[in-house]
Amino acid sequence: MAKAEDIDVSPDEPYRRAGARVVRVRTRELFDHAEGVLDTRDIERVHDMRVASRRLRAVLEIFAPCFPQSEFKGVLRDVKQLADALGERRDPDVHIDALRSFSKSLIAANKHGVARLIDDLQERQARANDVLAAELERAEQRGLHGRLLALADAADHDGEPEA
Amino acid sequence: MKARKVSGLDPEAALADNAERIVRVRLDELCGFMPKAADPQEIVALHDMRIAAKRLRYILEITGPCFGPYARTATKMVKDLQDLLGEIHDCDVQVPETERFAERLLAADAAALHESAGDADELDAALIKQAPHTRDHAGLAALQTHLRARRLLLFERFLELWGAYERKGFRARLEYAVGERADVHNLQRR
Repeated sequence: MAKAEDIDVSPDEPYRRAGARVVRVRTRELFDHAEGVLDTRDIERVHDMRVASRRLRAVLEIFAPCFPQSEFKGVLRDVKQLADALGERRDPDVHIDALRSFSKSLIAANKHGVARLIDDLQERQARANDVLAAELERAEQRGLHGRLLALADAADHDGEPEA
Repeated sequence: MKARKVSGLDPEAALADNAERIVRVRLDELCGFMPKAADPQEIVALHDMRIAAKRLRYILEITGPCFGPYARTATKMVKDLQDLLGEIHDCDVQVPETERFAERLLAADAAALHESAGDADELDAALIKQAPHTRDHAGLAALQTHLRARRLLLFERFLELWGAYERKGFRARLEYAVGERADVHNLQRR
């Protein structure tokens, strides 16, 4: 699993400035992990992007008061939607992986049922991959990356954020 | 589970002061699930406790360096707790999923035998050999047994882990640590 970048923070720095920096880093991490995420042969890719999406969502919520609320709500909703799609793809990955491992310990006669369940989960995995592909496309069309960076920029500027 | 609102956050104020407010609320949320989540039947409470642990972990991972040294220890402890609760949650998802799948195959087999019986007054027991999923049931039963046993084991580990945290004074020490401010040269109690 890709480790999140450590971000230096200072106790005395303004909350909003720290928020801007942290959101920029977590945004970069999310989009850095997008490559090859639809390849079901390498389940670590979707795992890494899912973890990055959860971290980004978390920091958006932690620093929520620092952002202009009108833009923030839409961005958070889009990040959640992407994170949910990544989660739906990840769940069968985890289950399939665990079942393959479990199956190794079974006698031959007991492997059939587990293999049947793996087949069923692979169908679910394929459906979830289609949903994820559409969600990635949607994030691109809605300019999610740019909107996240714009939120960070707004937090960085002096003065009060929008009410 | 919706996160409890944190009042008094100020974008212009120091990061540590805001983070302290958030950590105190998230810590209270986490601890508030006990002792309810210690009941193995309280699956929802345990799931919500996992979400609360995740929220506390993320705020500590980002802002832990602002506080006293115990915040770093607590970050690791909360991560360990969240990981364990996550494994239990996986069982809580996979057990019913596997049961539903096994039930689907049983129902399909029963329908197939019924079809095979045709107009007979009684079902021929030998027809069971022709059921389409007859070879699948044993493996699925073994899997359900494994998942349930694993859940029991992991839940025991959770109770032990939480008990150890309580004995170590996890909550009080973290509450103290977030009242401290890290400094390059020393730590000062405000």
